[in-house]
Amino acid sequence: MGEVILTMKGIDKSFPGVHALDHVDLEVRKGEVHALMGENGAGKSTLMKVLTGIYKKDSGTITYEGKEVEFHNTREAQDAGVVIVHQELNMLGHLTVAQNIFIGREFKKGIRIDDKKMNEEARKLFDRMHIDIDPTETMSHLTVGKQQMCEIAKAISHEAKVIIFDEPSAALTEAEIEELFKIIRDLRDQGLGIVYISHRMDEIKVITDRVTVMRDGAYVGTLITKDCTKDDIINMMVGRVIYEDPKTKNMTPPGAPVVLKVEHLNAGKMVQDVSFELHKGEVLGFSGLMGAGRTETMRALFGADPIDSGDIYINGEKVNIKSPQDAVKHGIGYLSEDRKRFGIVVQKTVAENTTMADLDEFSNGPFINKKKENEIAQKFVDSLATKTPGVDQLVVNLSGGNQQKVVIAKWLTRNCDILIFDEPTRGIDVGAKNEIYKLMNQLAAEGKAIIMVSSEMTEILRMSDRIVVMCEGKKTGELDISEATQENIMNMATREIS
Amino acid sequence: MESIKQNPLVKKVGFNRIVLCIVLLLMYALFCGLTGGAFFGMRRIMSALNYAYFLGFLSLAVTFVIATGGIDFSIGPVMFCCALIAGFCFTIHGVPMGAALVISLVVGVAFGLFNGYLVAYWDVPSFITSIASMNIAKGLASVFTKTQSVSWPQSSAEGGWFRNFVTMGEIPVGLIILLVIAVICAIILNQTKMGRYILSLGSNKEAVRLSGVNVRKWEMSAYVLCGLLVGISAIFFVGAYTTVQPGYGDTYNNEAIAGCVMGGTSMAGGLASISGTIIGVFIISLLQEGIMALGLDKNLQLIITGLIVIVAVFADVVARRRKN
Amino acid sequence: MANKSNTAGTNRSFIDRMGGQKFIVLILVIVMFIFFCAMSPGFRKYTTVVSILDYSYYIALMAIGVTFPLLTAGVDLSIGTGLICYSLIGGLLVRQHGWPVAAGMLVTVLLGIAFGIINGCLVALMDLPPFLATLCTCMITRGFGAMVVGGYGIPWPAAAQEGGWFRSIFKIQMGGQNIPIGFLWIILLVIVMSFVLNHTKMGRYTRAIGSNKEATRLSGVNVKFYHIMAYVICGLFAGLAAIAYSAIFATVQPGSGAGFELDAIGGAIVGGVSMSGAVGSITGTLVGVFVICLLKTGLPFIGLTANWQQIITGLVLIAAVLFDILKRKREAGK
Repeated sequence: MGEVILTMKGIDKSFPGVHALDHVDLEVRKGEVHALMGENGAGKSTLMKVLTGIYKKDSGTITYEGKEVEFHNTREAQDAGVVIVHQELNMLGHLTVAQNIFIGREFKKGIRIDDKKMNEEARKLFDRMHIDIDPTETMSHLTVGKQQMCEIAKAISHEAKVIIFDEPSAALTEAEIEELFKIIRDLRDQGLGIVYISHRMDEIKVITDRVTVMRDGAYVGTLITKDCTKDDIINMMVGRVIYEDPKTKNMTPPGAPVVLKVEHLNAGKMVQDVSFELHKGEVLGFSGLMGAGRTETMRALFGADPIDSGDIYINGEKVNIKSPQDAVKHGIGYLSEDRKRFGIVVQKTVAENTTMADLDEFSNGPFINKKKENEIAQKFVDSLATKTPGVDQLVVNLSGGNQQKVVIAKWLTRNCDILIFDEPTRGIDVGAKNEIYKLMNQLAAEGKAIIMVSSEMTEILRMSDRIVVMCEGKKTGELDISEATQENIMNMATREIS
Repeated sequence: MESIKQNPLVKKVGFNRIVLCIVLLLMYALFCGLTGGAFFGMRRIMSALNYAYFLGFLSLAVTFVIATGGIDFSIGPVMFCCALIAGFCFTIHGVPMGAALVISLVVGVAFGLFNGYLVAYWDVPSFITSIASMNIAKGLASVFTKTQSVSWPQSSAEGGWFRNFVTMGEIPVGLIILLVIAVICAIILNQTKMGRYILSLGSNKEAVRLSGVNVRKWEMSAYVLCGLLVGISAIFFVGAYTTVQPGYGDTYNNEAIAGCVMGGTSMAGGLASISGTIIGVFIISLLQEGIMALGLDKNLQLIITGLIVIVAVFADVVARRRKN
Repeated sequence: MANKSNTAGTNRSFIDRMGGQKFIVLILVIVMFIFFCAMSPGFRKYTTVVSILDYSYYIALMAIGVTFPLLTAGVDLSIGTGLICYSLIGGLLVRQHGWPVAAGMLVTVLLGIAFGIINGCLVALMDLPPFLATLCTCMITRGFGAMVVGGYGIPWPAAAQEGGWFRSIFKIQMGGQNIPIGFLWIILLVIVMSFVLNHTKMGRYTRAIGSNKEATRLSGVNVKFYHIMAYVICGLFAGLAAIAYSAIFATVQPGSGAGFELDAIGGAIVGGVSMSGAVGSITGTLVGVFVICLLKTGLPFIGLTANWQQIITGLVLIAAVLFDILKRKREAGK
């Protein structure tokens, strides 16, 4: 670790009604990877937005390379060498890799853009990072991992001295994360200061040198990573130890009937000949790398995307699922990984979202029975312990975990027996995560059959009774929880790569 | 301001709509003042109401489409197309008046089906179907009538009874019908499955689809309802103005949309107010009457409604920006 | 994975290498031309070709212009009524106020640019939906033009009259024949605008905004400026189209112009510009415009009135958009 390159001291920022940052401190040295941790809404992103000039701070000082600075926009920050690699990929899918990297500062020959030089420079960058990407390839043709690498290349090309990674691993496969870490270590060794924001506790231990923890917009403390345990960090983040006990054996009652049987399901390139069975009262984990076709399998099964071929049996009867409508009719409920886009209607109330899938039940002819609707919504708000001021609250005002509960209530209202949880805890903070786990176990115990797609190995091992592993659109293995280990799952998940 | 909004009456009726009512009254007072009192009296009000009838139905029609997050600016030409085809059937082909009125509705619904099918089942952007339908409606009406204008019968003539829908003696029957249909629209929007689904899919279509709802059907239903209301508006247009010419009608698009967005319906979809739309329509109608009374160029109306839409939509954009 | 994407470049089909949709549409234009020639002896005349080209000028200019807003995933619906408005006001100055024709033309173009700036500000600065903002300016230009001239048609100077020289920008008389030299201007502008679109910042950022506006903004690009500029270019070309229209037609009527935008937008989309932005080319737009112009001039020869043309153009627009949607669906499915 070298000298201090960036100090943020006493940063304070208020939005109408919210004290988003309360005198927060952060110090980054040259040649260190500094983790910034905190639950959702702790103020990590706000702090970084203040740093890169997207928000204006109310008070406090930012000292960069020994001078007090204030950036007014991302461009100024970039030019000074403070660059952010965003969580959501900021790519221009229709443009080439090189055009993406140099967008906003193209090389020019007169009024003409010099694409040739841009391609050469991009190639040099990739050589420096030891990765192989064609600069003339159209961005949307790359894998998510490669796109992320392009983002990093773009950051490096700014002659960055401080790079902020905002949850960079959220969309990456384990293999790609390895590659990412290699690059981050390289950058660190070159003397850059790196801020690393992540939810994944395991990563923090592997890659970072120091950890700064935030809670509710306030600075909690800074630790040396190798001197502290995961629980220390979690305690600082939430102030209490949490998590359900992991499963060690299959909890499905013996002889539980098969409620769902999928045979030779094909849907596009991402779902090839997938077959599996799901029992009553079981949590079936779907593991694999990002892009292994798990979400696609679930969407095809749910009728959200068209099926090419294959048979689906529910309770032993062959069913024809062509649309989500058919799936719901047969008692399947789908909780998407992207709640805001696919799960809830944010501008509608809790009650309206709760009855969305089963409005016929709450209608007399064409008219909606609002009293009955409010009653059922209230019932689920109570039983799922959803934190909301009332059932007439707009869902947009709820936190991620509580929004997830509204989606669960929607499917329970419909009396779905098969529930597909796709990345059930993505974007949900540590405290709320555990509540969702509890709820899933409870639902399984009540006789619901649950499929859980997850990219977090710990989550798969903690929750599943059985595990299906997929790789490149094919099912590559099936394990009972008692025989599953991180290693054999990873083996299956990478079986066909190489 | 905050304390005004807390008032129970304001909470129930809505701040926006109270402001609109005040604007309406102020406008009326202004026109009375500018014309030295000549504007005052039933004659002008009745004339403004004549305008409000057909525009009201057009505006109600487009409210449903905007609620789904779409747009329809083919409604004006489609209204003319309905009036032309139905009127032509009556005057030239001797179809009885009752049947002619039904033809008007059928033509409206047909365009609603066409637009709705393309938007809902084929994901064609609604403004594209609007451009296309607008021109198809104009072309179709011209082809059907061989580019002749069509005059509907006077009240004393045979088949003139349809004018009783507009005014019967001194009674503004049209106003009653407009308000009754507005109430029905409000019930559809707020109390029924159809309205719930229309508003929800306007807010987040994919989430509604993944809840197992047949979103395509409901989205199309908004366009069909829109078409039906446009068919009705055609009847009230000819009831008040008698003659229709092929190739026109697009100026009414903007006025209908203006009434709708002024009343608090969000262009982003998911949020709509029928009562707001009706008040908005009265404002536009009064404006039109005022411009005529003051002897100003009627083209001014085009410019003013254009500006009204810009301001109203911008206000909505700002309001949404502030919320996020 | 990397291998697959690398080979994708060489495995492209013949049609893709020839320019994709552009190529198909070019063949369509030729087929349509042959069809009309075969169906009607009247069509097989030099004057028909001249009349196709006459129609093509203002539509092509509008279409080149509107390609820019379309590439930003927006649209400009005000070009048709705008064209008439600019032409009316420019013509009024020439006819009634004795301005030289060149000054009238300059005003026409400047008005186009002014309304382009207004549209750009409404969309880029005020965040209004493009179709709605330009629908409003469509009505405003229509009302404005009609108000300024007081509801009467404006005839720009005829070829033989003083100031009529401007008509020879597009068509000159030589040996008793009309020579449509306007086409050369169109070709020149297509080359210039293709360069702007493919090799300058302006074009690059226009596409980038259509691809992902937020990402472009976060890259430090002055998105607002370039977004406005797309509409300014569109306005400029609507102004040029107004001159072409005034030069080809004897009189400009207030209240007309609604529906012109259908021809221009239809042409652009038929030529491969995607409704969802970022995809498209100027040359494609030009080819698409000829589909529309052939319909306009060809249909009367096979016994269908101009009104049919309006209906068919509407259907062609829908068909082109459906084609674009299906293409994107297929690509997404890959």
